[in-house]
Amino acid sequence: MTEAVLHIKDLIKRYGDVEVLHHLNLEVTRGAIHGLVGLNGSGKTTTMECVLGMQGFDSGEVKVLGRHPRDLWQGAGDVVGIFDTPGLHPGLTVRQCLEHAQLLCGKPAHKPAELEALLGITKYSHYKIRQLSLGNRRRASIAHALIGQPAFVVLDEPFNGLDAGGVDDVLALIQRLNRQEGTSFLLSSHQLAYLESICTHLSILHQGKIALSASTDELIRPSESRLKLVCDQAVAARELLKQTLGVINIEKEGSALMLTLDGIGPGDVNRKLVMSGVTVSELQPEKRDLSALFQKIVSQGVA
Amino acid sequence: MMQGLLTAIRAEIYVFTRSRSIQLLCVIPALVAAVQLLLVKSLAASNDARAALMGTETADGGGGFGGGGFGNVEGADAWGALVDALGTGMTLISLILVAYSAWSFASDRDQGVLRHLLIRRVSRPALVLSKLIQAHLLALVSIVLMLLVTFGSAALLWDFGPVIEDGYELIGTADIHAELSLGLSLALIPLPAAIALGVLVSVLSNSTTQALSLALGLTLGLDLFKSVLGGAADYLYASYLVSLLDESYLDDVARLVRGYSDVMIDPAVLQLNQWVPWPQMVLFIILALALVRRKKL
Repeated sequence: MTEAVLHIKDLIKRYGDVEVLHHLNLEVTRGAIHGLVGLNGSGKTTTMECVLGMQGFDSGEVKVLGRHPRDLWQGAGDVVGIFDTPGLHPGLTVRQCLEHAQLLCGKPAHKPAELEALLGITKYSHYKIRQLSLGNRRRASIAHALIGQPAFVVLDEPFNGLDAGGVDDVLALIQRLNRQEGTSFLLSSHQLAYLESICTHLSILHQGKIALSASTDELIRPSESRLKLVCDQAVAARELLKQTLGVINIEKEGSALMLTLDGIGPGDVNRKLVMSGVTVSELQPEKRDLSALFQKIVSQGVA
Repeated sequence: MMQGLLTAIRAEIYVFTRSRSIQLLCVIPALVAAVQLLLVKSLAASNDARAALMGTETADGGGGFGGGGFGNVEGADAWGALVDALGTGMTLISLILVAYSAWSFASDRDQGVLRHLLIRRVSRPALVLSKLIQAHLLALVSIVLMLLVTFGSAALLWDFGPVIEDGYELIGTADIHAELSLGLSLALIPLPAAIALGVLVSVLSNSTTQALSLALGLTLGLDLFKSVLGGAADYLYASYLVSLLDESYLDDVARLVRGYSDVMIDPAVLQLNQWVPWPQMVLFIILALALVRRKKL
């Protein structure tokens, strides 16, 4: 069984009479980069704040590296959080902030200069935090979080305020830390494309519940039962396939036909068409669109 | 817990020693007290010059702003100006400390700075205690600086000696030193309670602005209304704080060194001054520690 760095079971959180998290269940395995996607107000930040012990919860169980969130400080930097606000002293310089972070770590694994170079903020080293742009503040905040060697990093909206280059740097850094140091990540973001490109697992949070949680491969793996067909005789092919056992639905999408199969594969369809004299120029499993899946879930509220 | 507290204190000291704003806060009371002494001396010098031109004696002994009350009392002006400057410095320090302690926790929470400490190595109670310690450090530095600058400036501007009226020594230098030490010591005792109130308000509030306005509002409110509380005010730490409407013993010392003979401290009030602020400080700290456990940070 894979060890979980984060285990949430039946988490309930209320603000007054409003229940914002309803029996939320989520597990992040060691070594995973787990993305948490959801609309504004779906409960992403509340979930992260409960995980990091910033606020209490009404019932349920949360264990982060085996600890209750309010005892995370005992881990001496095993877990770090990077929030939507950078959380750095505005009157200190970038270098001073990183030195301040070193004081908070039992065993700092990285040197401030090394992280500044990694995040591309070396030239701002002696700038005060208040003098930096939002993107550079975020870079400094990430450097601040990574000065130790955390086993688990929680990032709330890490791409906010970053330019395209900055996003690429952060994505590369996350992947590097994940591969080289085995760091596990939980990231929340609206940027589905970024999450899709980096996450090993994705969870969709909708109305305070995890509506869907699976590995990214599983979610975007091309479906064997949905095929896109492009051929020279679309009408004839449609008639032919209608009478074929195993083809349960045919829809027209532009010049292509979308086939839904049951019990037969693409090879069977191809053979049948070719033997009937239809020239097939494209026959491929439909690639799943994560964005469409997300839209479907948030519009219908179902997994 | 202890390790976390030490980490938090180290982190606070790191910020303390590098923040220009905090350094400025340490210096302001000393600067204002020194400026007050200079103004008093300049006014006295200008009065003396005018009197010399007019061929008359100075009516107020050259006291001017904060000057002495009796024209023929020697030495009263210097001591009077010094104690007034100390009173101004202590008033500023108490207000700055209340404001700073209210600001520090709330501001760090608003900026998200607390989160890094909290997740990494510092428990919630240790966060509150480290803020209390940092505010006391600020108090220590600003008080020492203010005393050094005030005594130093006064020594440069005046010659200090016994207070003499018509050749008769009203109060000797040793007695003045003793009363001044007592006045300052009694003025220091309520400061930890004022700091603890600031931190409590900071923990309670939902924003920095709210924390600052509430802490300063409460402190100034207590200052304004302590006179209408009658005997009950004796059981309030704020009554012994050097303040804008000063009723502390330091205010009495300012009269004593000017030759007033009706100044005496009630032993019961002296006892209350020494003991009343401590339980209130402990209460504020316990409340802050209890509240921070449930607060969203």
